[in-house]
Amino acid sequence: MDTDVTEDQRALLDVSERFMGQTCPLTVVRDADQRNGDFLASYRRQAAELGWFSMLVPEDLGGGNISGNGVLDAALIAYKRGGLLQPGSYIGTNVVACAVAAAGSDELRKEVLGAMVGGETSASWAVASAGSNGEPDGGVTAEVTADGGLVLNGAKTAVQDVEASSWLLVTCRTSVGPAQALVSAGAAGVTVTELESLDISRRFAEVRFDDVAVAPSAVVGQPGASGDLIDRQLALAAVLTAAESVGAMDHELDMTVEYAKDRIAFGRPIGSFQAVKHVLADMSLAVEMAKAVVGAAARSLGDDDGYGVEAASIAKALVGESSIELAQNCFQVFGGIGYTWEHDQHLYLRRLTTDAGLFGDAAWHRERLCQLAGI
Amino acid sequence: MSSATTDIETFRQEARAWIKANLEPRPKASATGRPEREASTPEDIAKARVLQRKLFDAGWAGLSYPAEYGGRGLTALHERVWREEALDYYAPDFGVAGSVTFGAIGRSLVAHCTPEFCQEHIPKILAGEELWCQFYSEPEAGSDLAGIRTRAVQDGERWIISGSKIWSSGAYLADWAMCLARTDWSVPKHRGLTWFAVPTNAKGVEIRQIRQINGNAEFCEEFLDEVEVTEADVIGEVNKGWAVTQTMLVYERGAGEMGASMVEPRELAPDLVALARKVGRADDPAARQAIAKAHINDYAQYHLGHRIADRLRAQATPDPAVAAYGKLASGVLAPIRARLGMEVGGPAALAWAAGDEDGGRPALNYLNGRVTSIAAGTNEMQRNGIGERVLGLPREPSFDTNKPFNEVLSGARNWNSKVG
Repeated sequence: MDTDVTEDQRALLDVSERFMGQTCPLTVVRDADQRNGDFLASYRRQAAELGWFSMLVPEDLGGGNISGNGVLDAALIAYKRGGLLQPGSYIGTNVVACAVAAAGSDELRKEVLGAMVGGETSASWAVASAGSNGEPDGGVTAEVTADGGLVLNGAKTAVQDVEASSWLLVTCRTSVGPAQALVSAGAAGVTVTELESLDISRRFAEVRFDDVAVAPSAVVGQPGASGDLIDRQLALAAVLTAAESVGAMDHELDMTVEYAKDRIAFGRPIGSFQAVKHVLADMSLAVEMAKAVVGAAARSLGDDDGYGVEAASIAKALVGESSIELAQNCFQVFGGIGYTWEHDQHLYLRRLTTDAGLFGDAAWHRERLCQLAGI
Repeated sequence: MSSATTDIETFRQEARAWIKANLEPRPKASATGRPEREASTPEDIAKARVLQRKLFDAGWAGLSYPAEYGGRGLTALHERVWREEALDYYAPDFGVAGSVTFGAIGRSLVAHCTPEFCQEHIPKILAGEELWCQFYSEPEAGSDLAGIRTRAVQDGERWIISGSKIWSSGAYLADWAMCLARTDWSVPKHRGLTWFAVPTNAKGVEIRQIRQINGNAEFCEEFLDEVEVTEADVIGEVNKGWAVTQTMLVYERGAGEMGASMVEPRELAPDLVALARKVGRADDPAARQAIAKAHINDYAQYHLGHRIADRLRAQATPDPAVAAYGKLASGVLAPIRARLGMEVGGPAALAWAAGDEDGGRPALNYLNGRVTSIAAGTNEMQRNGIGERVLGLPREPSFDTNKPFNEVLSGARNWNSKVG
């Protein structure tokens, strides 16, 4: 994705790509039965050995990255993951680990962070809610108790890859403003219901909270003063999701270009027709542009150069739109064969369309850009 | 810190100091760094020449041009640093003729001409003494540049050129032209072309300005009637002009950065925000979406430009098909950007008070919105280049590639859709 990848980054990407190709090729991706809890746990531990969950955690808390810009490193991995439609809570675990490292209590840092970095448990960000398009604190309200704890009520939806042992970072609304809590998926009052979903390469759940008591030590950030923390989490999730999308776009375009060279009609490969060729050239430009923007946003956010949050929204809005366009156009080039279950095209269509809507869709991030600019 | 970084930082300090001491500050540049109005009169050019000479004498002209021809032999990064430092100052403005002279033409001459030719012309170009223009397109050959019909015939040590050219930006202000002519009609189209340097005041050259849809007349058409040049005016090799064209096209396509702003755009589409406020639509969700779209386009074009420029620099011979990404981005995004201005402006963008330049700007931008989607090779040409040379898709069946050019013309008149 990036034009100047360092040698260390290259080595990490190569070994990560080998791991994905061996452990979870597309034949496994499309088979939900194979991707059961045991599989995901083993996948997660192996990924952790490669350093997938340490990049956004400072060294003194047991983390570390290879280039000095953990967001960029994580985005490069995300790009590779997206190409092979990898499952598992990669973005969720990284976002939650980053938040806990930045604003979690000492107890959380000690008890939970190491397990996330080491791949013993995964984490998901419970952020989306029915009826709120992108607002992170929708769906769940919380009462602040006298000792500084929270009591959660409400529901979040489209929570990604929740496992029985997962930690959930719940962003909610209190009378003093947004707040966040780290809750176990198995805690009393938490109900996780598996959903059916457009994307069949991952799992999504609705999570209900009925009077879920949160100890003060499990509150992440100060209720009512967590705005910056949530902004940064959202920016991180947006950049990493966009990076996974770019990987998927790149891979799908490659598949489609190959098909356009192989498929013969009217005595010629269909890719020789300008009607097809020009669409593919436009999609190739879309991929180049997405790579340029997501790379720039990852650098900006990781370097803390003062424009990272805006750049993340730019990247999410741009990719959210062009990824769906690409998936639709590639489908059109495949024609009827792309409508069959056996073909991989629909896996990419499903993934790209889903990623475009998670963590705020294109229109939501465009409005956000206006708000960030004070307009 | 590496020595390269130190070098760049030292360079930046030196540039900043010289600019501050020698150039005149201008009102804060628009976020895109583009001038509000382009140089278009002989007076503008005369002023630009004086300023360019000042830069040249102090060693700040042609930063990435070879030192033996009056440049500094530095890198594209130095050029970028200079542009950043000079952004808020008046720099020499030769209008379109300037970007043509210092871009596509200057670079092609250095890459393909003899040391004698370069010695003769490049220092004068860098000093602002020679302004060049392009005699490329013809009334019957634009995107199909290899299909030009202007002829050059050798007569001893002279070449005699006859034909007509068109779409030459700023030709009425230029001193020289880089002219493409057919020198062999008995071979396929790409193999009988030669480039010449032609003085615009030579006998037999007639230049006429063309009035454009925006009311300006910056484009020209030319008539070449037995114009004489010498062997010393040949650019590159006789009948091997297409090799020069490959270099020219990389820069003609903006070397990846066409239409992109000079600094990372961080301010949300300032022109459209001002417009929305002026017409009272800053709270209108539709206008806000349009503003954000415009900003995302600007940001994307800037970073795509860097990415493509990096890719081109990494190639031993920069590939025009890679440069086509930047050109296509500009050709696709600029018309959208212009339409967004009309959307935000609403009725106020359709009619405005007499003499209100500001009020008329969205409409003017709209009329100019398709310049980069057509000029220097249409979007469709860029898509062919990317599709065939980068993605490796097969070409359409060709009716003219392998036939002698004189047969191509007669064949086309009897075209019946049969290949061969």
